[in-house]
Amino acid sequence: MILVIGGGPAGLAAAVAIARNGQEVTILDSAPRAGGQYWRHRTRVDGYKSEKSAMYLQEVAQNPLIHFISGANVWSASRVKDGFAINYLVSGNELTVTAQKLILATGAFDRSLPFAGWDLPGVMTPGAAQSLLKGHGVLAGRRVIVAGTGPFLLPVATGIAAAGGTVVGLYEAQSPLRWALSPVALLLNPSKFAELLYYAKQVRKYRIRIQFGKGVTAFDTHSAVVSRLSSDLEVVAGSEEKIECDVVAVGWGFTPDVTLGGILGCAQKVDLDGTVIFNVDQNQRSSQKDIWIAGEATGIGGSDLALVEGEIAGLDCVGIGISPSLAFRKIRKTLFARALQKSYPVGNGWKKWSRNTTKICRCEEVSLQDIADSVTDLGAFDSRTAKLFTRAGMGLCQGRICSRNVSEIVAGLQGCQVSDNERIGYSNRPIATPISLGELSDGKSTK
Amino acid sequence: MSAPINFTFNGSTYSGEAGQSIAAALISQDQRVLRTTRFDEAPRSIFCGIGICFDCVVVVNGIANQRSCLVEITEGAVIVSKQ
Repeated sequence: MILVIGGGPAGLAAAVAIARNGQEVTILDSAPRAGGQYWRHRTRVDGYKSEKSAMYLQEVAQNPLIHFISGANVWSASRVKDGFAINYLVSGNELTVTAQKLILATGAFDRSLPFAGWDLPGVMTPGAAQSLLKGHGVLAGRRVIVAGTGPFLLPVATGIAAAGGTVVGLYEAQSPLRWALSPVALLLNPSKFAELLYYAKQVRKYRIRIQFGKGVTAFDTHSAVVSRLSSDLEVVAGSEEKIECDVVAVGWGFTPDVTLGGILGCAQKVDLDGTVIFNVDQNQRSSQKDIWIAGEATGIGGSDLALVEGEIAGLDCVGIGISPSLAFRKIRKTLFARALQKSYPVGNGWKKWSRNTTKICRCEEVSLQDIADSVTDLGAFDSRTAKLFTRAGMGLCQGRICSRNVSEIVAGLQGCQVSDNERIGYSNRPIATPISLGELSDGKSTK
Repeated sequence: MSAPINFTFNGSTYSGEAGQSIAAALISQDQRVLRTTRFDEAPRSIFCGIGICFDCVVVVNGIANQRSCLVEITEGAVIVSKQ
């Protein structure tokens, strides 16, 4: 059996490619419905190019060769005699499925940077605002600021406005002129102009004020401090202004979720943007036999690239050759993904947005001062030792939110760069989702 | 539209639509604070919204550490911030 883990664009494209070639495939996904984080459709399908997602979602629902297991939290995986054993939880029950071939499409989550007040209710990621709205039909707040960097801010801000929320401001930290660094990528992806035009129209329709070179650097429940930022995210002194709002949806690109492939020993590397991704070949094969990886976990590139990679993984998995046109599409989309990285970099200026009391690790409530003390007083020399002294990154999220930030802060205090080994180290964890010892030992496990 | 689903959160009654997460239903009724932290007792709400950050964990029908951004509301569910 072929098992796809992750039901976002990459996973669905893989499953559809497999089923169209007459083979059975099962998709495991943690959400109640297919579509992943980007394709969220609760009641109606809307947004740019929604007909494409509707096509995939319909085929997954209707093709008898595709089985979709929802609400499945995969917590571990291992190689067994003739394939893989995948352990997952569905509403507290531990289950195991075995498969001969695996396609990992585990996606990514928003990258967050700490600032004074970022742990207060009201601050959330753009992904959270989007999931509340598209997944649950709820506006995150009444007066919302959307901020950070990257093209994902556009659908989030226009979505909130279209649903009747007030978008007080859309603050994109980087200048749009940075796209001039990537002329070839733009010329090879003309469809992106149409997408940009679509959002430009939406922005005008809802009178959203976009300001470039600015970002949210503090929040206090009723207002946010918006500052002018250098391209390295340093605050321009004296530029701070207070803007009334009840929600700040702020995100700084994405972090690929590499945990599961890491557990299975798939080789990883550090991407240009400092994220840890998998090493895959042109057919999406990982370093481990019978494991393919597609989508954001092989480099942040958005849903277009994820669809192409998913299709390639699915086809290669059932032994179908990749056509030159599909291979070329991957090259085009990959070039565009590179251009995204060049256009929306995340510099290190954010380290000064926190107060000494600001919690850098939200789970274990470890402050900037605690981390600084672990370096200067206790001699922590990397994020791992700082973590052992302070418990930063040892909470329920297993460091998914803070470990990169802790690492950059410690390196900054040491006056050095974070090594690739350290980046790969903090991106991996021995279990993919927290599981209680009770769940592990209660004997509900079934085959 | 299906009938509203009623549940309690820290003893008060709330309602929501079928398929809504606990966090979404509460936020739609202006209940933004979902729990307070262990050490500082600082208020926390939804943050990542997709089950990654565990900031929004609550106790659902006696089961602790449930991510309220993922778990859907059910009729009569008893939800509390802390056990």
